[in-house]
Amino acid sequence: MDEQLVIEHLSKVYERGEVLALNDVSFTVKKGEFLVVIGLSGSGKSTLLRCINRLIEPTAGKVFFEGVDVTAASSRELLRIRRKMGMIFQQFNLVKRSSVLTNVLAGRLGYVNPWLSVIHKFPREDIELAFKNLDRVAIRDQAYKRADELSGGQQQRVGIARALMQEPDLLMADEPVSALDPATSHSVMKYLEQMNQEDGVTVITSLHFLSLARRYGTRILALKDGEIVFEGLPSEIDEARFKEIYGDEAEHVEVS
Amino acid sequence: MATKQSTLRSVKRLNRFGALKTRFGAFFVDWALWGYVAYEIVYLLNRYWYTEIHFYGRLTVPAWGWPIVIIGTLELAAISHAFANSIGLSLFGLTVLSQDYKYPTGIQRLRRYLWWHVSLLSLPITLFSSDRKNKLLHDRMSDTGMFRIKDVKDEMPVTTPHAWYKTYRGMTGILLIALTIWVGWLVTQISLSALIDRAPKTAYMWKALVTPDFTHMFALDPELAVNANPDLPASIFAGLLQSLFMALLATALGGVVAFPLSFLGARNMMGYSPMGWVVYWLMRGFFNIVRSIESLLWGIVFAIWVGFGPFAGVLALSVHTIAALGKLYSEQVEGIDPGPLEAIRAAGGNRLQVILYGVIPQIVPSFLAFTLYRWDINLRMATVISLVGGGGIGRLLFYYKGQVGRLDNAWNQVAAVIAVIVVVVWFLDYLSGRVREKIN
Ligand SMILES: Nc1ncnc2c1ncn2[C@@H]1O[C@H](COP(=O)(O)OP(=O)(O)OP(=O)(O)O)[C@@H](O)[C@H]1O
Ligand SMILES: [Mg+2]
Repeated sequence: MDEQLVIEHLSKVYERGEVLALNDVSFTVKKGEFLVVIGLSGSGKSTLLRCINRLIEPTAGKVFFEGVDVTAASSRELLRIRRKMGMIFQQFNLVKRSSVLTNVLAGRLGYVNPWLSVIHKFPREDIELAFKNLDRVAIRDQAYKRADELSGGQQQRVGIARALMQEPDLLMADEPVSALDPATSHSVMKYLEQMNQEDGVTVITSLHFLSLARRYGTRILALKDGEIVFEGLPSEIDEARFKEIYGDEAEHVEVS
Repeated sequence: MATKQSTLRSVKRLNRFGALKTRFGAFFVDWALWGYVAYEIVYLLNRYWYTEIHFYGRLTVPAWGWPIVIIGTLELAAISHAFANSIGLSLFGLTVLSQDYKYPTGIQRLRRYLWWHVSLLSLPITLFSSDRKNKLLHDRMSDTGMFRIKDVKDEMPVTTPHAWYKTYRGMTGILLIALTIWVGWLVTQISLSALIDRAPKTAYMWKALVTPDFTHMFALDPELAVNANPDLPASIFAGLLQSLFMALLATALGGVVAFPLSFLGARNMMGYSPMGWVVYWLMRGFFNIVRSIESLLWGIVFAIWVGFGPFAGVLALSVHTIAALGKLYSEQVEGIDPGPLEAIRAAGGNRLQVILYGVIPQIVPSFLAFTLYRWDINLRMATVISLVGGGGIGRLLFYYKGQVGRLDNAWNQVAAVIAVIVVVVWFLDYLSGRVREKIN
């Protein structure tokens, strides 16, 4: 039973605009995998990731995480499940006016006593953990700066530190490097790789560039118009498959 | 190829519902504008008939006059639609072109105008008989059509534009503005002669106003019948303090109540359940209605309720503050970046934590700025709210003004109060401006 995440017949219809964003998607993810989701803009990558932790409510289908039915969880259970799923975002999603440290600590909110969090009080261990995680992504010295004073790459590292605070079993990343330049992209992707290989965290990330997907992914899932059009090893994507996923007029763009 | 072209064109022509809606909208605007012109003409006729022509009597539109006005304005609107780029058409970005995308000829325009009557008289039939391309009867009979300018930009004939005052729009605009000023002048009874002739009478007042009498700045004015009027502040300074505290309390009270309410009045906080909508609309309605009733009017209510004096003033200012700040606050809440909220929810944070860690840090600066700004407004209000019995420094102002004729130096006392108000209001305005700069 090493299948950590099981997705069964997942569909999502956005009422507004009547968009079928996900159409009967099924797949499984094993513990320790580095799964990359690729696909054109609008193919449903963000929707898929958000349906897994129910930031978006799926219309039909089931999600099992470590044997627990996420789609059937009560709102209280859902908070518990989400704690174990870290998430990082394309636009970093930091509170810009808050300090880096506060942003990182926010990743711990699922664990702390809700009443103590009202007065912004975190246990000493959590604060130590926050510094440890900031250390890990090499921005400890920025801890007291406002989040929006940091560069894009640094902000995404804050996002990673925030996700690390959850001590997650699964890390989801929605186009984590799309807002960054190529060199910074790699430095951020390396942290994901490190979490995957050293801590054994399962990673599911959507990426725009096939070259990045090939470099970091152990498995690739391609979406097109809300349906899975390819599932397999990075090496299996040849020219024909590429055209199928990205359309006939697509060209390879390399990120080195 | 030809079919592709023609489908493109038929798509470009306004689609069925959108088309008719915009067409009616444009026509209605023109009709309303001509109605406004008609009203002003009747007003002017009435005015000069009454004062110059017929010394007694009043021009009223007789019963049979109304159909004439209605039909006349309809005709004018139709004419301006058929023969020119009327204001209604330009507002909705529409234009009349012939089927081959040229400007219609005079004959076509005339046919369009005449057939329009048939269209109008058989309106229901016209609507149902509009074909797939949304051509109405008068479109078809004149070989013209109504197009959205942005759709036919490329096909439209290129012409050198006329000077703006030579266009129909420019001329109608000038006519409307001129009529408005003329009628407005009469309605508001503007009288330059009064302004000039009676100026010398105010000389003594101006003289007093520039020589304020500060004797009772801090000292009790023996003239003040303090015992008979317990709500009269004992000195100018005491009145000032009263106003300052009224503004402070009203702002604090209003802000504290408006803060939680603003979340209920913010779309993004209320979700999209039916319950969410109901609460949202109730809150928005409350803000808008209460806000549109000025503090002075609330003052009347509370002066009756709790009696004359600063308490009534505080309540009046507070109520208006709740609504005004509530609305401003909730707009701020609606404008926040949803990203951090999503991140906190993804980390397993509950609703309260999302608000505390995601929403509040984003809104605090603008909330503070708005609150300060409101304090400013409340202070100004607190200086005049005593007009309706709300207490404060204004109480002295109006008291001294009431003493004109009885007290020799009444105007000088009034001047002193005004001077104090001006200085304090100016100073706090400056101060809060500086603080607001700091916050952002
Ligand atoms: N809130 C929403 N309401 C209505 N439609 C939506 C909403 N969010 C997404 N969609 C639609 O659902 C489809 C899938 O969108 P999604 O954001 O999942 O795609 P994506 O693969 O993440 O694209 P991108 O690469 O641009 O981020 C798109 O057609 C989009 O227009
Ligand atoms: Mg996306």
